[in-house]
Amino acid sequence: MPNRNGQSFTMLKRSIVLTLILAACGGTATAGPEDVGGRPDLPATTADEFEAHIGGIDRPAVVNVWASWCLPCRSEAPLLNQAFEQYGSQIEFIGVDVQDNQTDAKAFLAEFGLEFDHFFDRDREVVNFYAGIGTPVTFFFAPNGELFKTHSGILDERTLALNIDELLQLGS
Amino acid sequence: MEFTLLWAALTAIGFSWIGTRLWSDRLPDHPTDRLIGAAVGGLVVGRLVAMMLQGINPLVNPLDIIIVRGGVHTGAASIGAIVTYLWADKWRIADLDATAPAAVLGLAGWHAGCLWRGACLGTASGLPWAWAEPGSAVTRHPVELYAAAGLILAAWLVSRLPWRLLTRAGAALALVGLVRLLTEPMRPSLTGGPVGWYLAAVAFGGLAVWLGPRLVGHRITAPT
Repeated sequence: MPNRNGQSFTMLKRSIVLTLILAACGGTATAGPEDVGGRPDLPATTADEFEAHIGGIDRPAVVNVWASWCLPCRSEAPLLNQAFEQYGSQIEFIGVDVQDNQTDAKAFLAEFGLEFDHFFDRDREVVNFYAGIGTPVTFFFAPNGELFKTHSGILDERTLALNIDELLQLGS
Repeated sequence: MEFTLLWAALTAIGFSWIGTRLWSDRLPDHPTDRLIGAAVGGLVVGRLVAMMLQGINPLVNPLDIIIVRGGVHTGAASIGAIVTYLWADKWRIADLDATAPAAVLGLAGWHAGCLWRGACLGTASGLPWAWAEPGSAVTRHPVELYAAAGLILAAWLVSRLPWRLLTRAGAALALVGLVRLLTEPMRPSLTGGPVGWYLAAVAFGGLAVWLGPRLVGHRITAPT
């Protein structure tokens, strides 16, 4: 039935054009190198240094392992930002950038406005120390650095909210 | 899409297929295919809108669209699914009524799929049937199973309604919104959930139930 096929094809073309228009309306968010020039390099860390750091924090902590090249990290970044804004006074949020370079890492942070503390771990020492797999991975720590839970893969809102609730129950 | 989500999606397809067998009156041909197509359309639209609201440009980062866990906008996905269904069905509005119970049952399957994903639990609860996350002592409401049970009941109720234009489809939309609205306070969330969209679903669903029969005789024909 040539007419039906032709009509469907026209509708398909319209749908694609509409999708592209919608997509074009999205925020342009990639920051250029000039946008990150003023931002200091992320402090490098080793597994021992990080363990000492997290052990000295007397409240629960969410440690998110990310990289500028990691696609799922882009999707979970706004969620982490939201959680930080909401629970930053009760929970420590820390980012660990792995297998990356400083320029791309700073561009990523500028793009998503992630304002909590971040460390640079080129060789994945911290992730390997806590037996994390892949990127992204998120560690949930009880107060004083006891690892409570590891979540491998992208975080969704429910998973993050549930684990934050668990941490808050631990802290109370 | 990771495998746990895939299993949940397959559970939803299984439930909707059962729905088409239980309530097969006046269904268009290939109803399960149509529902899958509508779900995919809704998922794409919902994901695109979620990305744009997160400040991620789909043109710059097109592969982000497959990261479904990154977020799907509930309202946009619902509208996208309904529009996709109608477009694929050549805008035969009356077919929405025939497919509505199976669609609601499919949604119940999606919620029941939390068992595959290990994502059933909500806020803390001391009720006897509450259970805890692995490694935790805090027992919680199995909120997604509540939603699944509510939606199964909703599907059955919709299937009992009379064949008037948009009565079943409108009631289905309103009941889905209501079930989500009732369970939302028990769902862990950073944003409070898309409560406004659930209220809109209840309102528009109710409006469709009222308005549908009044449209017959204008440009739209009644279900036959």
